[in-house]
Amino acid sequence: MTRSMLLRAVRHRFVAVPLAIAVAVAAWNVYVAAHDDGIVRGEVVGPDGRPVAGATVTMMEQNFTTNSDRGKTLTRDDGSFEFTDNRSHNIQLRAEKPGVGRSDRVVVRLYFQAQNVTLHEPLRIKAGS
Amino acid sequence: MTTKRTARAWKHASLHLAMVAVSFCMLLPFYWVLKTSLTGENIFVYPPSVVPVHPHPFYYVDVWYYIPFPRYLLNSVVVSALSIAANVVFNALAAYALTRHFRGRGAIITVLLSCMMIPFQTTIVPAYLITAKLGLLNSYLGLALPTFSTIVCIFVYKASFEAVPRSLIDAARIDGLSELAIIRRIMLPLATSAVATNVVLSFIWSWNNFLWPLIIVRDPLMQTLPLGLSRFLSYHENTTGALYAFCIMVLAPGILLFLMAQKEFIRGLTSGATKG
Amino acid sequence: MWVFLLPSLAVFLLYRILPLAWNGVLSVQQFSPFAPAQWLGLDHYREMADDAVFWRSLVNTLWFMASAPVGIVLALAISLMVNTGIRGRDVYRTIVFLSYPLMTVAVGIIWRWMYDEKVGLFNFILRSLHLIDTPLAFLQSFELALPSVLLANVWQILGFYMIILLAGLQTIPQNLYEAAAIDGAGPWRQFRRITLPLLRPSLFLAFVIGIMTSFTSFDLVYVMTQGGPSHRSELLITYIYKAAFELSRIDYAAALTVVQFVLLVTLTWLGNRLAGGDAGSVEAG
Repeated sequence: MTRSMLLRAVRHRFVAVPLAIAVAVAAWNVYVAAHDDGIVRGEVVGPDGRPVAGATVTMMEQNFTTNSDRGKTLTRDDGSFEFTDNRSHNIQLRAEKPGVGRSDRVVVRLYFQAQNVTLHEPLRIKAGS
Repeated sequence: MTTKRTARAWKHASLHLAMVAVSFCMLLPFYWVLKTSLTGENIFVYPPSVVPVHPHPFYYVDVWYYIPFPRYLLNSVVVSALSIAANVVFNALAAYALTRHFRGRGAIITVLLSCMMIPFQTTIVPAYLITAKLGLLNSYLGLALPTFSTIVCIFVYKASFEAVPRSLIDAARIDGLSELAIIRRIMLPLATSAVATNVVLSFIWSWNNFLWPLIIVRDPLMQTLPLGLSRFLSYHENTTGALYAFCIMVLAPGILLFLMAQKEFIRGLTSGATKG
Repeated sequence: MWVFLLPSLAVFLLYRILPLAWNGVLSVQQFSPFAPAQWLGLDHYREMADDAVFWRSLVNTLWFMASAPVGIVLALAISLMVNTGIRGRDVYRTIVFLSYPLMTVAVGIIWRWMYDEKVGLFNFILRSLHLIDTPLAFLQSFELALPSVLLANVWQILGFYMIILLAGLQTIPQNLYEAAAIDGAGPWRQFRRITLPLLRPSLFLAFVIGIMTSFTSFDLVYVMTQGGPSHRSELLITYIYKAAFELSRIDYAAALTVVQFVLLVTLTWLGNRLAGGDAGSVEAG
């Protein structure tokens, strides 16, 4: 096949469309492979808006019908926390500190499993037990 | 002069109005299911809102990971690929044979035409028994085998082949080409539209086929997309937007292929309808 | 040459002709996967004559067939509108035809949800227009279940009818209309005297396809109503499936299939004859 014939064949819709789809799929897979370390970062603040150190953050994995604990970690001095082993695409987080209170369950939905994510909003611990 | 033009303008305007109404009715289900797959509302909530509120693509992510959607997709793709490949080869061979004159040709054509009268649905019981006897239950081959050849497409090829000038074929034969080589080098390249029609039609039929996989697939991992979809419906009923995301993901290839290959599709249906 | 025909013929032999014959054999046997089959004579057919579900499914299949003319008339109206050469006719044609190549299971799920009693679109529209006070349970009601399925079927097959009728319309020469207009015939007259007679083959072809659809529409019924409530939307094909694979009565199902096939062939042959010769048939996959 000559070069011009090849170019014409590629521009035909039966070739161009699947090719475009294949390229998009390949690019997406590359992006996923580069960003799927399972890192979840966030911050915990107290009822007064200040960071809370030493709070326990629980990560739960969500299925259609069930909810199971996947890990716990403590916040650092500046209130930030990090999980490094998230393997799901649908998790829930909750922070609590005895004596201060607990936060609501925050649902985090990701685009692909183990996507690295940094939460936009901190987990707010509400006063009360 | 002006009244004639305004009359025609009115006529066109009312036609457009009617066609827009028809289009609205035809497209409404698509819009509705797309909206729900993006927002998950209107599954429990009444009254529904007309415009999507807080759309998000996460139901699609759910479908991809929770259901074994990639597995079902793979199964459907393999079965369709088998079906398409076999279709193109078998149908082209048979059609080429029918363009030559030999004893019994008329009888064969009558047999094929009468086979068109036997829809797949009237063969399911013995076809199941036959497939079981062949040991092909639950296998890709068993799923694809009944769709390996279609009579409509044979006649589409036949019409295309008969349009090839005889002189070309005779010259090739004088040059010593075997029959198979003639099909491969001369007939098929000149019949690309028939091949495209065959590919499109056999893809759509094998992709959408529900009854046959329902009958012969026992292993949940061998399910094709239609089967997976209906199983999902019976497990989860109306409880999640993921069902509708599943529907959209399943419809997307069909719609895309149709928009790309409308001409071939329509040609295949109408020429089959007039017996090619 | 025969060698080239062998692969295709083998497929048809194995999956069309042999099953057809075997159906007949099975229908007069007592079939068991463990023991050799026993000759039973016409017992299954006698049982069928007393089977209320069989008669119900037969009636429903006939109702299904009766809905075909409705779809064809609608498709004819749309085809006539699209054929007038208005701008964007290709877009309209695509939109109407879009529903046909879709997976029927997905279509069934979408319509099933639109018919839902609590959150369905149809109940929403009817109640918003204050046409009804309490929601209608479309798919669970005895009277409305089958018509609901029929509506979904018409939606899906409308495009197919339209394609056939459009192809037929385009074979009618324009100068016939022009001559009639010169002679003073109005549009309605032109339609009755020119369009309808010349469209007869296409119309009957569409009707034959409608007949075949009523014998093959398994997916839609299975997903939307499962044949319920109480077999009110059971079709012959769904009853055959249930008899063979849910009730494990392969032999009875074969007898039902024989009846279904005979009915199908008779009606299609009648349709062809009324169309004035060979209108052909379509293998609907």
